[in-house]
Amino acid sequence: MTAPTLKIENLKLGFKLWSGMIEVLHGISLHIGKGERVALVGESGSGKSVTARIVLGMLQEMSSARISGGLTFEGIDLDKLKPRDRHHLRGTRMSMIFQDPTSSLNPVYPIFTQFREVLARANPAISDAEARMKAITALADVSINEPERVLDSYAFQLSGGMNQRVMIAMALANNPSLLLADEPGTALDVTVQAQTLKLMSDLVEQHGTSVLFISHNLGVVREFADRVYVIYKGRIVEQGLTKQLFSNPQHPYTRALLAAVPRITGGGIPDIAEDTAGFHDPLIAHPGASEKELLS
Amino acid sequence: MSAILELSGVSKEFAANGRRTLAVDNVSFSVEKGECLAIVGESGSGKSTIANMILGIYGASAGAIAFAGEPLPERREKRHRRAIQLVQQNPLSSLNPRRTVGASLRLALDVHDIGPKAERAERIGALLQEVGLEPDYARRSPAALSGGQRQRVAIARALACESELVVLDEPTSALDVLVQARVLRLLAELKAKRGLTYVFITHDLSVVRNIADRVAVFERGRLIEIGTTEAVFSSPTHDYTRRLISAVPVVSDAEAEMRQNIMEMTHD
Repeated sequence: MTAPTLKIENLKLGFKLWSGMIEVLHGISLHIGKGERVALVGESGSGKSVTARIVLGMLQEMSSARISGGLTFEGIDLDKLKPRDRHHLRGTRMSMIFQDPTSSLNPVYPIFTQFREVLARANPAISDAEARMKAITALADVSINEPERVLDSYAFQLSGGMNQRVMIAMALANNPSLLLADEPGTALDVTVQAQTLKLMSDLVEQHGTSVLFISHNLGVVREFADRVYVIYKGRIVEQGLTKQLFSNPQHPYTRALLAAVPRITGGGIPDIAEDTAGFHDPLIAHPGASEKELLS
Repeated sequence: MSAILELSGVSKEFAANGRRTLAVDNVSFSVEKGECLAIVGESGSGKSTIANMILGIYGASAGAIAFAGEPLPERREKRHRRAIQLVQQNPLSSLNPRRTVGASLRLALDVHDIGPKAERAERIGALLQEVGLEPDYARRSPAALSGGQRQRVAIARALACESELVVLDEPTSALDVLVQARVLRLLAELKAKRGLTYVFITHDLSVVRNIADRVAVFERGRLIEIGTTEAVFSSPTHDYTRRLISAVPVVSDAEAEMRQNIMEMTHD
C-alpha cells in the first residue's frame, strides 16, 4: 500500500497562557489517502481549523503553542524537515483555501500579481508571459468566462463567488497533492456555494488531489466528502464513510448534531435535550473505517 | 383578516457615485397578526433593505407602509418604535459591550416607560427567565456570554418593551447547529405565548421550512413568489425558487430526493 497523503497521529495542541495551559486538541489521529476527500466536521471551537494550521506548519510559529504528535506527508515526517524545506511545501505540494475569499486576497494588488506569486513558488524563473498564460488556463478551469479581465481586476471589484473561484484556481495552480479547504463555501450564497463545491469537486477529481475539508455544515460535508471525522472539543468522536455516518450515526454527539439540523422536508424545529453527557464517549469507528483497518 | 403590516408599492433607490441602484422594486405584501412571514433571497435581493424600511431606519423612495391599519410616517413616533423591534444576526455587535445585560434591558424599559419604576428590576429577571437564562445574568457583560446566550439577551431586549412585530434578521445564522435549534424553539414558543408577529429574514431555507407560516421570495429587489410555506416548498412556481431549494445542502436521503424532484421541475 502506498503511503497516505497525510497522516496525523495522536496530535495534541495546547496554548500556554499566563493563567496556565489550555488544551485544545487531546490527541487526534486521522489520515487522507491519495485522491481521497476527507471531512473534519465539528462546531466552532472544536479544533478543526487549528488542525489545518498545524498541517501547514503555521501554528508552530506561535510561541505559546505546544504541539506534539506525528505528522507525515506522503511518507515524509514533517517535523524532521528543515524549516526551509517545510516552507517550500506550502503553496506547491500543499495549499489552502479559506472561508472568506475577499479577505484572503490582497486588496492592493491586482489578481495577476498575486497569481504570479503563487506560480513563482513552484517555478521562480517563470516569465510574465508564461505566468499569464498559466493563470488564464487555471481561471478558465474554474469556469471564469473572462480570465483576462479578472486577472487585471482587484479582489474588491469581483463578487464573492468569483473571488472564491480565483482562490480555488490559485490553490490548485501548482498541482498540490493536498488541499486544505477551511469552510470554503460558508461565506457564499447557497446557489453559488453549490456551484463552487461542484467545481472544486470536479477539479480535485481530475487532478487526483487529496482534500482535507473542514466544515461545520453537515449538508455540505455529505455532498462533498468520501469519508468523515467528527470532532468534538478536541477529540475525534466518530469516523466512517460518509454514507455509513449519515445513514447510521452512532456517537451521541453525532446523533445530536444530525438531529439538530432542520430538514427541508419539514417536521418542525428539532427538540434538542440540554444533556451533553454522552458527548464525551470514546471514539466510535464504523466497520472497516477505523485508522487501523484503513492503514493496514 | 387583520394585517398588522402592509407594504404597498414600496421601492427604494440608492444613489452612490452617480449610479442609481433600485434595491427594492415596487413590492407589495402584508403580514397577518400572529404569523411568521419569512423573507428569503440571496445577497443583494433586497431582504435587509425591506427590514430597514419596516423599522423606519430609512424611508421608502416610493409607496407606503402601514402598521395596524394606519400609515407609518417617515419619521416614526415613539409608539411605533416600541411596537416594531429588531433582532440582528450578530449579538456581539448589537449589544453594547460596556453595558451589562441588565442595563441593556433596563434601557429598553426606561425609554419606553414600561411598568412602574420600582418593578423594573424584577421585570428584567422575568424577561431573562422567559428566554431561558437565570435572572442573575443581568449582572454579566455580553463578553462573558456564549453566542447563543447573547442572542437570547438580544431577543429579551426586543421583547422588553412589549413589542408586537419583531423583525428577525438572520437571527441564528451565526450560531452552531445545536444552539440554533434551541434558539429557534425559543422563538417559536415566545411567538405562541405572546401572540407575536415575526418577519423572519434568512437565506437558510431549511430553517424557513420549519418555522415560517408563509414565505416571500425575493430576487434582485423584486418579490417573485409568496405563499404558504407548504405550497412554496411542495410546488414552487418560479424557477428561481426551485433553484434556491435545490441548492440547499441536505443531510438525509429523503431530503435529497425532494430536492431532486424540485430540480426536475425547473425549465432551463
